[in-house]
Amino acid sequence: MTVMLRYRFFVHTLSRRNYHRRAPPASSAEMTELLARYASTPPRPLNLAQLLSYGHPITPDSVLSSGQYALSELPRRLATRVRSLEALPFIVGTNPYVTKTLNTFKESFQWLATHPPLTTLEDNARFVDQLAALVQRHANDIPTMAKGFQECSRYMSPTQISDFLDGTIRNRISVRLIAEQHIAVSQALNSPNDPSAYVGIVDMKCSPKAMIKMCGSFVTELCEATLGASPAIVINGHTEAQFGYVPVHLEYILTEVLKNSFRASVEQKMKLRKSGKTDPVPPVVITISPPTQVMANGPNGHSTYLSMRIRDQGGGVLYSNMDRIFSYAFTTAGRGSEGNSDDGGGPYAAQHVGGSASIGGEDSEGDANLFGEITGKGLQTGLGTIAGLGYGLPMSRLYAKYFGGSLDFFSLEGWGSDVYIKLRCLDEAGDSKI
Amino acid sequence: MLKYGNHGRLRLLRANTSVRHESTALHFYQNRQLELYASKEAKRLTLRQLVYFGRHMNEERLLTSANYVRTELPVRIAHRLRDLQALPYVVVTQEGVDKVYELYWSAFEKFRRYPPVTTLAENEKFCDFLRTLLDEHAPVIPNLSLGLSLSSPYLPPDKLDSFMRRMLISRISRRVLAEHHIALSETFSGRGKTTEGEPHVGIIFTGLNVKQSIEHCATLLNESPLWATESLGSGGYSKRANVLIDGHLDTNFAYIREHLEYIVFELLKNSMRTTYNKHAGESILPPIQVTIASGQHDVGIRISDQGGGLHDARNQVVDPSDLFSFSHVRNATRLEDERLGALRSASSSEHGLKATVDEQIGSWEKTLSKESWKIAEQNFQSRIGIGLPMSNIYATYFGGKLELVSLDGWGTDVHVRLPKLGTNLEGIEV
Repeated sequence: MTVMLRYRFFVHTLSRRNYHRRAPPASSAEMTELLARYASTPPRPLNLAQLLSYGHPITPDSVLSSGQYALSELPRRLATRVRSLEALPFIVGTNPYVTKTLNTFKESFQWLATHPPLTTLEDNARFVDQLAALVQRHANDIPTMAKGFQECSRYMSPTQISDFLDGTIRNRISVRLIAEQHIAVSQALNSPNDPSAYVGIVDMKCSPKAMIKMCGSFVTELCEATLGASPAIVINGHTEAQFGYVPVHLEYILTEVLKNSFRASVEQKMKLRKSGKTDPVPPVVITISPPTQVMANGPNGHSTYLSMRIRDQGGGVLYSNMDRIFSYAFTTAGRGSEGNSDDGGGPYAAQHVGGSASIGGEDSEGDANLFGEITGKGLQTGLGTIAGLGYGLPMSRLYAKYFGGSLDFFSLEGWGSDVYIKLRCLDEAGDSKI
Repeated sequence: MLKYGNHGRLRLLRANTSVRHESTALHFYQNRQLELYASKEAKRLTLRQLVYFGRHMNEERLLTSANYVRTELPVRIAHRLRDLQALPYVVVTQEGVDKVYELYWSAFEKFRRYPPVTTLAENEKFCDFLRTLLDEHAPVIPNLSLGLSLSSPYLPPDKLDSFMRRMLISRISRRVLAEHHIALSETFSGRGKTTEGEPHVGIIFTGLNVKQSIEHCATLLNESPLWATESLGSGGYSKRANVLIDGHLDTNFAYIREHLEYIVFELLKNSMRTTYNKHAGESILPPIQVTIASGQHDVGIRISDQGGGLHDARNQVVDPSDLFSFSHVRNATRLEDERLGALRSASSSEHGLKATVDEQIGSWEKTLSKESWKIAEQNFQSRIGIGLPMSNIYATYFGGKLELVSLDGWGTDVHVRLPKLGTNLEGIEV
C-alpha cells in the first residue's frame, strides 16, 4: 500500500513539474464534485446546424456564442472521457501511460468546467490561445494510451479494448471538432476578407480531387522513401465534384487508405517480379461519385452523400483475415514480412499495423503487436497528430461514420482490394444530429 | 373456391380442392410417414465427392448413384415439407404456396413408393421419372416467390427470408443431384450431350474457364431483344455496353457451369440494364468492367458498372442485401402490382421458371421469331425480381458469397466469391 502511494505521488509530482504554468490540479473533493455534476448530465448529440451557424455569418456576437457553446459542450465530453478511463480495470489504471492520460484529461476538464463566461472579444482571444494549447497537449493521447494498452494487453480482452477505443476516438473527434471549430471561427473574425468557402473548419467547397492529389503526393513520397517505388494515382468519375466536409477528416481517411493501397501495390509487384513478371506497379484508381441524395429510412431522413472508391491491385486480403482488418487487436503479420507474405495476411496484413512492419525492438513475439507499432512510430517521430500513424482502417472508418457515412472494404483475393468511402455532405446536412 | 377466371387455373384448383378435401383429415394422420423421413439426416456432399464418384463410372456405381438419389431426395423433400407445415396456416393456404405444397407432397409420395433400381434398364426408367418430376416442379420458384411475397404481412422478415432460403437452396441441391445423375447416366450410355470437348463429369465442368463463361453470357445478352425499345428503328439494336474483362484471365476451376453462368448472366443483365437506363441519351455507353481473381481457396469475380448505383427511385432498400429479401418490409418492390403480375404469369405458364440461362434464352428466341417487340419490352420491364436472390442462392450453395456495394450516383459493384477446391459441403440444412 505504501509503495503504491509513493508511486502515485511520484507520478503526480511528475505531471506537476511538467505543467507548472497552469493552475495546480484541483483538490480531489472539488474534482469529484465537478465530475459528478458534468458526467451525470445526459449526453447531448452534436447539432451540426447549430455548430455551423456560429460561423455563418461571422460576427463578434456569433464568435462569443460559439465560445459559449464550446464552454457548455466540452466539459461534459471531457468528463465522459475521465469517467471511461476511471472505469478501466484498476491494474490498467495504474499503468503510468494510462495515468498520465487520465491526469491530463482531469486538468483539461477542470480548466474548462471552471472557466468564467466569455463576455468580450479579449476574453475570447485568451480563451482561444489556451484552447489551442489544450488541443496540442492532447495531440499524443492515442499513441500514449496505445502504449499503455500494449503493456496491459493481458488484462483486457480485444473486445474490451476495441469498445473502449471506439468510444474514445469518437469522443475525441467530437471534442476536436468543437474546439477547432471555435478556434477557426475566432480566427476568421480577424480576417474578414478571406474569400474561402470555409465555415470554421468545414470547407463548403471541399474538392475530393484536390484532397486526393495532396494526400497522394505525401503518400507517394513516403512510399518511394520506404519501398523505392510507388504506384501512380488515376482519378476518374466526377472529378470536379465538390461538397461540404471537414478537410482534415477526409485527409486522414485518404492518407490511411492510400498508404495501405500503395504499400500493397508495391509489395505485390515485388512478389510478382520474383516470378518473372516485369510490368510497372499498377496504378491506384480512385473513382469519385457526385453528391447523391438517398431516401433511406435512416434517422436523418433524406441525406446527401458523396462516395469514393479506391481500387488497387495490391493482391487483396486473405478471406480468412477479412474479419480482422477493422480490429485494433493483434495481427498475424510478422515483422519484416516482405519475404513471407504468404502466411497469414498477405500484403495487407501489415496494413493493420498501419505502417511498415519493420519497426522492431518492442516485441520479440511472432505475432506483431499493433500497439507496439503505433507507439514506435508515434513516440519516435514525435508527430503530434495521429494522422499517418497506426490504426489505419478502424480509425478511418470511425471518421467516415462520424457524420453518418460509411467505409467498406472488399477484396479480390490474389488480385486487389476496393475501399468504398461514403461521406455525408455537410453543406446539405440541415438539422441533423451526430 | 371458384376464385379466378383462368380455365387452366380453375382446373388445377378443382383437382387440388378435391385432393385437399378428401385428404385433409387423412392428410393429418398420414403425416407419420413424412415424419419418418424427416427424422433422417440429409447426407450432404461436396463438389469433389460428386466429381470423384462420377469419374470412374461403371454399372455398379451408376446403380449406387441412382439409389442414393432415390433415397436421399425424399429425405430432403420431407424436411422441406415439415418446414412448410410449420409455417402459419394463413401462409400455406395462400395463393402459390398451396400449389407448392401439393407438388412437394406428390413428389414425396412418388419417391417413397419408388422401387429400388437394380438394372440399367430400370435406371433408364428412373431417369425418365426424374426428368418428369423436374419438369413438374418448374413452377415452384415463381409460385413460392408469389406466395411468400403475398404472405409477407404475416411473417417477420427474418423468418420469411430464412424459410425462403432453406426452400430454394434445398431445391438447388435436389436438382443438382438429379441432374448430375441423369448426366452421368447419359454419359455412361453414350448419349451425353456434346460439350465441345470440354472436360466434365456429369454437370460439373472440371476445367471451367471463367473468362469464356463471362464472354458467353455477355454475347447472349448483347444479342438479346432486351434493348428493343425505341432504339429499334431500322432493324438492328443500337448501343451496347461493352463487357471488358481483366484480372487472372486464365482462371480455371471445377464447378457447375450452369450455376456460374446464371450468376454472371443475371448480374451482367442488371448492369447492362442500369447502364442503358442511366446513359440512354448518350452515343456510347460506358463499359462494364469484370475482374477475375484466383485466390488461395476461392475464385473471385467483380463486376463494376456505371449504372448509377443501387439507390434510385425504384429501389428504396436500406442495405444492398435487402435486395435478396422476399419480404416487403425489407424490399418494398416485392408487393408492387407489376411484380406480382409478372409472378402470376410465370406461375401459370406451362414452362415455369427453373432459373437457368438456357430457359431465358429460349424464351427470347421465341420472341425474336414472333417479332413482337412489345412482348420483349414487357418481359424486360416487368422484372420478376428473382435474379438477385437466386444468384445469391447459387453463389452460397457450396459456401461462396455474393455482395453488392453501391457508389450512389455512379454505379454498382458486385463481388462474387466461389470456392474452387470443391471441399465445402452443400449449404443445406441437415
